Amino acid sequence: MHLQINEVAGNKVVAIEGRLDTTTYADLEKTLTNLFDEGCHNMILDCSAMDYVSSSGLRVFLMILKKIKSVGGSLVLCGLQPAIYNVFEISGFLSIFSIRDSLDQALNK
Amino acid sequence: MATFIHCKNPLSEDLGDQLKAIPECPGTCIFIDIINSTDLKYRAGIETWGRMLNNTFNFISFLNNFPENIVKGIGDEMMLYIPDSELRQKKDINSYFALLGEIFATLDNIKNHPLPDLFLQCKVAIHHSTDVYNITFLKGANDYYGRGIDLSARFMQKGRPNRIVMSQDFYELVLADAQEVGKADTDAMLKMVSPIYHEDFKGVPFPVAYRFIDLNN
Repeated sequence: MHLQINEVAGNKVVAIEGRLDTTTYADLEKTLTNLFDEGCHNMILDCSAMDYVSSSGLRVFLMILKKIKSVGGSLVLCGLQPAIYNVFEISGFLSIFSIRDSLDQALNK
Repeated sequence: MATFIHCKNPLSEDLGDQLKAIPECPGTCIFIDIINSTDLKYRAGIETWGRMLNNTFNFISFLNNFPENIVKGIGDEMMLYIPDSELRQKKDINSYFALLGEIFATLDNIKNHPLPDLFLQCKVAIHHSTDVYNITFLKGANDYYGRGIDLSARFMQKGRPNRIVMSQDFYELVLADAQEVGKADTDAMLKMVSPIYHEDFKGVPFPVAYRFIDLNN
């Protein structure tokens, strides 16, 4: 998994590329927690290049959502591939996360 | 596929020879019990009960990696057996550390899910054993027998909602995997593993060592 952090139109965008699983989730958890602790409470997670997510990965999404909600921030996920979207549906995550089709849509919120 | 054991003559000598020749099938046995589903069935009816059971079975997403390893399901309990030879061949979850990690994450996600009343909590028991045989006494069925399976079932006695009970044997394999990827000392899940306990289980002629992870703590 590869992570890239960009500032786009005043938004912190974290692009996740590759597989988010038991061997990689800790990197994402650390990155998002660090961003949050530095005061970034509005994030966009660009998942367009993320091709696999396991329960360990879902756990990180839940963790950061909880933190961001606790301070009234916003978390938007975008570009979910069909297989990932399916996992989100099964997990009931479509109802609890703000999800957009593309980064452009996420930036427009 | 399991070796079908079937002999009409109860005194057959061939049967003894056949049984002696069956190879051990070392692997990981997992029992998963979905909590409170029976109570819910009577209290809330099939619509609510069935929906929550459907949701929970779907949510146990690590199972998607092992569809052919689900040996049996009885109501809200299921047994998986993953032979070592198969675990290492898996694309996504191919180590004991990864296996425990996915089960841990699944239970944690259910416990912390923001939407209430969609999923039921689970308890899990895991054991690794070499004393297992891939045999069946029912034609066409796949099954596993052996003292390793019996012991795995015994660990469910120590189960609680949101708890993973694991034998010391399995834990040592997890630890070895974690060491290999440099996470034995830093992994948050491993820090939650209890001290070792020893207990006499019914039908087991020696004290059994086990640990657990309690997600309620």
